[in-house]
Amino acid sequence: MSLLDAPHNEWRRIESINGPEDERRRLLDLGLTPGEELAVVQSVPFGDPLVVLVRGMRLALRRREAAWIRVV
Amino acid sequence: MKTSPVQTISPEVLTRAEGQETRSGPLTVCLAGVPNAGKTALMNALTGGSFHTANYPGVTVTLSRGRSRPEFGPALNLVDLPGVHSTVAPSPEEELACRVIEGRHQLIKPDALIVVVDATQLERHLKFAAYAASQGKRIVIALTMMDLLARSNVSINSGKLSDALGVPVIPVDGRTSWGVEELMTALARVTSQPVDPFDNALARLPEEPVAAYAELREMLGRSGAFRRNGSLMLARDSFTARVDRVVLHKYLGFPIFFLLLGGLFASIFWAAQPFMNLIDWSFKEAGQIVLAILPAGVVARFLAEGILGGVGAVAIFFPQIVILFFLMTLLEDSGYLSRGAALVDRPLSYLGLHGRSFVPMLSGYACAIPAVLAARTIPSKRERLLTIWIIPLMSCSARLPVYALLLAALLPGSAGRAGLALASIYVASLLIGALTAGLISRFILGKRSASMLAMEMPLYRKPLIKTTLRMTWTRSSAYLKKAGMPIVVISSCLWLLSNFGFGSRQPQPEHQPAPVIAQSELDSSFAAQLGQQIEPLLHPMGVDWRVGVGLISAFAAREVFVSTMAIVFHIAGDEGTRQEGLLESMRAATFTGTSQHVFTTSSVIGLLVFFFFSLQCLSTVAVVKSETNSWRMAGLQLLFYTGLGYILSVAVVQGLRLSGVS
Repeated sequence: MSLLDAPHNEWRRIESINGPEDERRRLLDLGLTPGEELAVVQSVPFGDPLVVLVRGMRLALRRREAAWIRVV
Repeated sequence: MKTSPVQTISPEVLTRAEGQETRSGPLTVCLAGVPNAGKTALMNALTGGSFHTANYPGVTVTLSRGRSRPEFGPALNLVDLPGVHSTVAPSPEEELACRVIEGRHQLIKPDALIVVVDATQLERHLKFAAYAASQGKRIVIALTMMDLLARSNVSINSGKLSDALGVPVIPVDGRTSWGVEELMTALARVTSQPVDPFDNALARLPEEPVAAYAELREMLGRSGAFRRNGSLMLARDSFTARVDRVVLHKYLGFPIFFLLLGGLFASIFWAAQPFMNLIDWSFKEAGQIVLAILPAGVVARFLAEGILGGVGAVAIFFPQIVILFFLMTLLEDSGYLSRGAALVDRPLSYLGLHGRSFVPMLSGYACAIPAVLAARTIPSKRERLLTIWIIPLMSCSARLPVYALLLAALLPGSAGRAGLALASIYVASLLIGALTAGLISRFILGKRSASMLAMEMPLYRKPLIKTTLRMTWTRSSAYLKKAGMPIVVISSCLWLLSNFGFGSRQPQPEHQPAPVIAQSELDSSFAAQLGQQIEPLLHPMGVDWRVGVGLISAFAAREVFVSTMAIVFHIAGDEGTRQEGLLESMRAATFTGTSQHVFTTSSVIGLLVFFFFSLQCLSTVAVVKSETNSWRMAGLQLLFYTGLGYILSVAVVQGLRLSGVS
């Protein structure tokens, strides 16, 4: 499923990263690599952006970016 | 003047200086890392200087350079590079850092790199360190944020980490200088010994991120450097998560945000007031003393009115700048500022801006110049240019003395209503800035290209008061240096212009009746002639040439308008009004030869409108030119805002007059 559908505060494993090539490579470079675990820990008013915890960092991701992340 | 060991200079100046050095000179060492790793604090500790350091990703917006402190052995040239989130699709400042690290920069050629690595985000920061190491530079890793490790139940053994990576790893805390000596010793060792820079595990990591991260994790696991005590905490348990749940709360998030910003602005106005009164009083007294001590004549008046008056005009709103910078630095250092950026990302992206546009816009309320520089952190070009475009609308502190004067003239004896009006002006500047951005984004720039947020939010940290104060002073004094000299020079020149002219080669003898002196000096002065040249343009605004002189001089800096008004109207008044305040002189002022008042309700509102829109700051134009590398953008901005200000001002004045407001 997409990260957008993942319940909050639950560790999920990244399956794949999609999206435009530059953006996809930037997300990978930030450490959002397939196999890595991440959790959505917070959503901001308006529900956008989401705050995810990955590799010890908190990352604010727009819904558009989160939609590119497939998790299991 | 005491020279600071650290100077913040533009890359162009830096590269020129760098190029003149021979290879036998001091070694050049660059600090590199992911934003918010603690580079700038470390730079502070290494140089003993103080400059911008903050807990907001991407604060090093210009390259800073300094010399290492003498107690660390032979001097090193230290350059603080902008932080790099990712080497993929870089923003302009990331691109600059990459050029230096890859040895593609024409003149900054580092002999070694200090890669600053946040211990709480080891994998991601080491991935960047691997990129730096694979460029063939000698590197030393400075491991920061060790004090925050305990929060996540983790400990790191730097010796084992160093063995595994094959490069020295030194734990440091730039804020307290802990570990800095060891770092310099390690740096001296790697630069003096012949080592193959490619011969270490870090440099051999693959470039491809998936493989690199996997190998990095395996390497860290094998090294035994990394120990997790107990289970990994999920965010809900950590301090940062608890704070985030409140400040990013669905309903509380925005009220807290506006409360914080409201508090920030309220303190700027209320807390600064006693200091401003004190400064105002001391400059007036100093002027009186100068007039009393020196023999009466043109020199004494030049010192008292031209020089002291000009310096006083700058000094009076310095308390506000200091308070603003102090509170902004506190917000940055605590980590809140990036939450603010996340909060407003959605509304701002609707306007064609970016969450990161928030910090430049907020800085714009202090001064447009640092604000334009801060826009460098915005990765997409379109959003960066749009942010720069609306920065001049943000009500900068140079407008404050102007608004204060005009509102006092408009609403005499009602500080409360004047305060309310001022607050409305500030809110209006935000709304109109948003509207401008939205309109330009929709109708001029057209369909937008996608941009990314993917913004890191640092752990909350208690700001160190000493660091915050030092930073406040650095930023405030830099502002004073930048703004101060031009204002003093211009108000001195202006005093001369308004006191000398073709008609009067020298001021009239003192024994003549005062009003006659004033009249004759005034009408023949250079300033008067210049003002009279543009008078036809000013009549529709409902003001005369004297205000025109003020408007022209305000292009040096808006606040000069106030000191110009003081000079122009004191001269124009007679001996009696000269002793009174500027407000009385303004209120009494009439169009020459008539009894029609210059400052009426409509003309003062017209001036407020003009100052609201007009880009009366040549320094901003220069900075926009250098940041966008285009005179077109800077010139267009100058013409657009100043033209808009004039047209709207005329429209408002004529509209008010038609509807019966004097």
